[in-house]
Amino acid sequence: MKRFRIGTIFSYLILFIFAFITVFPFIYMILGGLMNFQETTSIPPTLIPHHFEWGNYAKVFAKAPFARYFFNTVLTASITTVVSLFNSLLGAFAMVNLRFKGKGIIQIVMLSLLMVPGEAIIFTNYNTIAHMGLLNTYVGLVLPFLTSIFYMYYLQSYFGSISETIYKAAMIDGASDWDYIWKILVPMSKSGLFTVGLLSFISGWNSFLWPLLVTNEDTMRLLNNGLTAFASDAGSETQLQLAAATLTVVPILILYFIFRKQIIKGVVRNDLKG
Amino acid sequence: MDNNKFVEVKNLRKVYDNGHEAIKNVSFAVKKGDLVCLLGPSGCGKTTILNILAGLLNPTSGEILFDGKSVVDVEPKDRHIGYVFQNYALYPHMTVLQNVMFPLVVGKNKKPKADAERIAQKYMELTQITELADQKPENLSGGQQQRVAIARALVQEPKILLMDEPLSNLDARLRLKIREEIRALVKSVGITTLFVTHDQEEALSIGDKIILFNDGVIQQDDLGQNFYLEPNNYFVANFVGNPVIDNFKVTKIENKLKANDFTIDIADLDQSRFKRTLADGDYLLSVRPENIFPALDGLLQATVDDVELIGRERVLKFTNDETQARSLVNLEMPIKHGDQVKLKMRLDRVFLFTPDGERVY
Repeated sequence: MKRFRIGTIFSYLILFIFAFITVFPFIYMILGGLMNFQETTSIPPTLIPHHFEWGNYAKVFAKAPFARYFFNTVLTASITTVVSLFNSLLGAFAMVNLRFKGKGIIQIVMLSLLMVPGEAIIFTNYNTIAHMGLLNTYVGLVLPFLTSIFYMYYLQSYFGSISETIYKAAMIDGASDWDYIWKILVPMSKSGLFTVGLLSFISGWNSFLWPLLVTNEDTMRLLNNGLTAFASDAGSETQLQLAAATLTVVPILILYFIFRKQIIKGVVRNDLKG
Repeated sequence: MDNNKFVEVKNLRKVYDNGHEAIKNVSFAVKKGDLVCLLGPSGCGKTTILNILAGLLNPTSGEILFDGKSVVDVEPKDRHIGYVFQNYALYPHMTVLQNVMFPLVVGKNKKPKADAERIAQKYMELTQITELADQKPENLSGGQQQRVAIARALVQEPKILLMDEPLSNLDARLRLKIREEIRALVKSVGITTLFVTHDQEEALSIGDKIILFNDGVIQQDDLGQNFYLEPNNYFVANFVGNPVIDNFKVTKIENKLKANDFTIDIADLDQSRFKRTLADGDYLLSVRPENIFPALDGLLQATVDDVELIGRERVLKFTNDETQARSLVNLEMPIKHGDQVKLKMRLDRVFLFTPDGERVY
C-alpha cells in the first residue's frame, strides 16, 4: 500500500515536471505579451505582469496588417483542408474498393513518392508556380497541397478496416459508388476524416517555407511569415513580438481544446488498426 | 419462359488471378419458387458461385440465365436479387429502419421517403423486427441482425434471394429456429432462393433440392434423401450422413469380396443394384452405421472401443483394418466398452466404390 503511494507520487511528480516544461513557454508567451518592455527584459525575469498591457495588441495591429495575415491563413488552410480531404477520400475509396488494371503499380509508385521529403521538391514546385505566373496568389499558395498521398494512405487503412461485404451489400442494394461514399463510407469513417481534416488544417496553419518562397507582398503573407517579418520590424520591442506570437498560436490552441477528444480518438484508432 | 429453369447456369468456370480454378464447368438449374441449398465443404466454390450469380464476381466463362435472360453483363443492382451475407453486412451507423429502407432510397429506383418507409415497415413486420426500428445494429443479437439482413434483402422485392451461410454465426438452438423461419418466410413470399451452407443437416432439413459441390465440381444435384440413399460417388457417401459412413477396403477375387477379416459372397448382393459388372481389383465397401449391427450370425468380429450416446441411439465405435468404424444401435441394447461383438451388414444397402470414387454398386 505504502509502496503504491510512493510510486503514484513519483509518477505524478515526473508528469508535473514534463507538463511544466512543455507548457511553460506557452504561458510565458501569453503573459509576456501583456507585459511592458522593461518587464520582458528584466533580470531576474518577471513572471506575472504588474499591469496587464492590453494595449500591446492594439500596437501589434497598428504596426502590421495582422488581420490580413489572419484572413489569408484561414483561407489557404481551409481550402487545402477541404480539397485535400475530398481528393484523399476519393483516392482512398478507389484504392480500397475499386478494381482496375495497374492498381498495384499505382500503389507502389505513390508509396515511393511518400518517401520523397517535401523540401526536396520545393524548388521544382517553385519553378513550376513561377512559370505559371502564380507567385503572390492564393492559387500558388495552395496548389501543391491540394492532394496528399499521406492522408490518402491514412484513409486507406481506415476504409480497409470496413468489411468488404458492406460495399458489396451497397452494390446489391442499388447504391452507386457516389451513394456508397456519401451515405456509408463517410458516416462510417467520421473520426478518421476528422483527424485528416484537422491535421491538414494545422499543417496549413503552420506552413512556413512554401508561403515564404511564393509570396513577397505584405497583402499575401500568412501569419507565420508575418510574424518573422514583424519580429525584425518591431526591433527590440519583445513584448510586441510575444503578443504577435500569441495571436498566431491561440486559434490553433482553441481548436485543439475543442476537438482534443476526436484527435485522440483518431490517433488511437489508427494505432490499433496498425 | 420455363419455370423449371428459372435460374440456369451453363458451363460456368471461374479461374482466379492467381491461377486457382475455383469453379470447373458447373451447370445446374433451379425451379421457380424452390429453395435450393448449395452444399459443400469450405473452399469447394459454393460461395464463389453465389457471388457470380450476384454479379459481385465475373465468371471466366459460361452463361447465367435468370428467367431465360442472360445476366452475365448485368450490374448486381439490375439483377433483381436480394443477398444475405454471412456477416449480415448491416450498415452500423444506420438504424434498423434506415438499413431496411436503404435499397429504396438510393440509385435509380429511388422512391419517395413515405413510400420507402411503408414498404420497409411491411417487410419488418414479416420478419418480426418492427419494435427494433430505432435500434442500431450493434445493439441487436445475432438472430435479430439476421432478420434485419433478410428484411433488407427482400425489400426490393427481388426475384431471387441469395443467402451465404446465413446461420453460421448463430448458436445451435437459434440456428434450428431461424432455419425453419427462413424456410417458412421464403415459401410465403414465394421467392426462388439459393442458400449456401456447409452444414448437411441444414441443407437436408430446409432444401427442396440440394446441389453438393466439391473442388469446384457438382458431385450430386438431387433431392435430399437421394444423397443418403443413392449417393453418386464416394465423396457424397462420406460427406452426407451423421454419424459418417463406414468404409472397408475389399478386394474382388473371383466371386468374393475379401476384406482383411471378412468375406462377402457377391451372389449375396442385390444384383439389380450393380451399375456395371465388377472387374477384379480393389474396391471400397461403404456401409451406413445403421446398416451394420450386432447379430449372432454376423460376419465380422470386433471389439467395442467406445460407446457414444446420441439421444435415442448409441454409436458403437470399433476398429477394423486399422480404420475406425461405427455401428448405430438402439439405446437399450446392452453393449458396453470392451465387449466382443459380431457385426452383420444389410447387403442390399451397402455401396461399392472404385478407389477413385466411382460408385459401382
